[in-house]
Amino acid sequence: MHDGTGRIVVQNLTKQFGPVAAVQNLSFTVEPGSVTGFLGPNGAGKTTTLRMLLGLVTPTAGIGLINGRPFNQLGNPARVVGAVLEAQGFHPKRTARNHLLVYAAAIGVPDSRADQVLQLVGLGAAGDRKAGGYSLGMKQRLALATALLGDPQILVLDEPANGLDPEGIAWLRTFLQSYARSGRTVLISSHLLAEVEQTVDQVVIISRGQTMYYGPLDNLRDQQQARVLVQPSDTGALVAALREDGINAIEQLPDGRIAVSGVEAKQIADVALKAGVSIYGIQEEKADLERLFFQLTSGQYAAPVGYKQQGYEQPGYQQPGYQQQPGYQTPSQPFQQQPFQQQPYQQQPPPPGYQQPYQQPPQGYQPPPPGYQQPPQDNPYGQQHGQGGLGGGA
Amino acid sequence: MGNLIKAEFRKTTSTGLWWGLMIPTVLMALGWALLTGAIFTSVTDFMSSSEAEDLTEFLGVDPSQWQMALFGMARSINVATLFPMIFGGLAIANEINRKTITTTFLTAPNRVSALAAKMIVYIVWGAIFGIAIVASVSIGVVITSDTSALPDATGWLALAGVGILSSILMTMFGVGVGALMTSVVGTTVVLLLYMLLVENGIQIVLASQGLPEIIGFLPNGAVNGLTGSVASSLFLANAGVVPDDLVDGLRAVAGALGAFDWWLSGLIFLVWTALFFLGGWAATQRKDIT
Repeated sequence: MHDGTGRIVVQNLTKQFGPVAAVQNLSFTVEPGSVTGFLGPNGAGKTTTLRMLLGLVTPTAGIGLINGRPFNQLGNPARVVGAVLEAQGFHPKRTARNHLLVYAAAIGVPDSRADQVLQLVGLGAAGDRKAGGYSLGMKQRLALATALLGDPQILVLDEPANGLDPEGIAWLRTFLQSYARSGRTVLISSHLLAEVEQTVDQVVIISRGQTMYYGPLDNLRDQQQARVLVQPSDTGALVAALREDGINAIEQLPDGRIAVSGVEAKQIADVALKAGVSIYGIQEEKADLERLFFQLTSGQYAAPVGYKQQGYEQPGYQQPGYQQQPGYQTPSQPFQQQPFQQQPYQQQPPPPGYQQPYQQPPQGYQPPPPGYQQPPQDNPYGQQHGQGGLGGGA
Repeated sequence: MGNLIKAEFRKTTSTGLWWGLMIPTVLMALGWALLTGAIFTSVTDFMSSSEAEDLTEFLGVDPSQWQMALFGMARSINVATLFPMIFGGLAIANEINRKTITTTFLTAPNRVSALAAKMIVYIVWGAIFGIAIVASVSIGVVITSDTSALPDATGWLALAGVGILSSILMTMFGVGVGALMTSVVGTTVVLLLYMLLVENGIQIVLASQGLPEIIGFLPNGAVNGLTGSVASSLFLANAGVVPDDLVDGLRAVAGALGAFDWWLSGLIFLVWTALFFLGGWAATQRKDIT
């Protein structure tokens, strides 16, 4: 029998659908007591991975273990792991209560459990309605109710927020967090980091069927750097003045603005004032997790590189005396409207040791340059970019 | 295992499918029994009439002893078992189509036990349909047939037994085809088309080519042989003298042309059922549920 640890272990999972490698050599561990986000863009292999873990899809290679056992050796699996999967269906002519009664019988829990879980997910009044008449959100709740029938130690949810209204999402968030806090395991997949950012403690990020990152979300957060976007009257003069002050993390943006990393807007405004440069616009940009996630997972269906480069090398952008910093590159992906400091590790496949549990920061990741100060992050999720406000005086 | 069987039963009783198919099953069985009972009664009446006296004397037969109702019952049972076959056909096809198979497999220890529970439940449902069919057929035949044309208790029990057996086998045959096809519409159309048209066409061709013995090996020929052979054996055992030339004709009337003894027909159809059922099982066992 299983070991009752509540741990999920995915070891070198690979799934080949004909010529398509849906999942390639994927490994990660999910520990109990926390909500783990399983993130990746559409088509990254999330659903296939979860279905392999749950014994619904046979892996080409590798193994997925729940409590140290493959799914089909768990005994009464619904008592150990409950799952809400995307393509999980209901017979449209069967009432929600009858649906739950069917599976309550299969799991071997008393019939009263069906009403309990209906109440729990807020479908108590709709239990005698046929599932075919349910909205998407109600179906999601019914799927969750089904997953909870066996009072499992582990919950696996594939895109559970789909179809839920904001109230439902907030409810789900609270529910999952309290579930995890009681020492159980929650694994939740999403293609949107923002959707689960406030719910999860740990993340597994996959792209193109491979693990890109896994570890605590806080470690990922620490990798962010804020930038200040400035529109000066004289770019060359401002850059020179900033350099004199020892501020070198400067980047030219295609729209004519410059991006300065590692300083506050106030400091730049002061420098500009001293140099006699007017500032037409200044804006603090907190690079959010979503962007980092984007970079970790980008490239799967990327268009050819080149668009940005062309725009960037237009004559007139190169001011005399201004040199691009070696460490700062233009983004290689055309859909990134606002360039962001690229981390070296994002461009390469992860080194072998990268997938070890909780090994943070990963090898190859460079710490911020000396002199860099972590900007105050009162609201670490805050997205303050986007509007060209006149934040700093000159 | 008991839990899974209970779950599968709840699955079948919590949608309208079972009574949606039970109603036409009963109507079809009753209707055919009434009709065939009436037809065979008029045949017997004619044969017993003074106009046919010469003929019966010439053949050396005594129509008053003919249990013509047996043929009507066999035919009616054959037709009505199409419905339990469809009921079985939807067992797995519907689950795959509605994607409830995901939850079914997530709540069962393994696929073998989930599918075994389903098999047991559909055997029971096949028997329930079979009992309903035999009962409806019996009522219909009693209404339109003369008492002398009805089988005795032993004969009735024998026919009821094979009737229920063929209903169970037809259900399992449907389950297997449905699991292989995995499409609700496809399964229904293929099953009905084959049983009603395709194989009858093949049978006509085989009979006209002088190869009626092959018919007994075909699925529909075999399952018809199950009830048809019992009906014609019972008939012949009680009918007194029947000329050899008439035997083939009688078997054709019973729907058992080219069929073997009832137990051999049953075995042949069992092989067909096992072939599709195990094939469907194997396919579902290994299927990636995506």
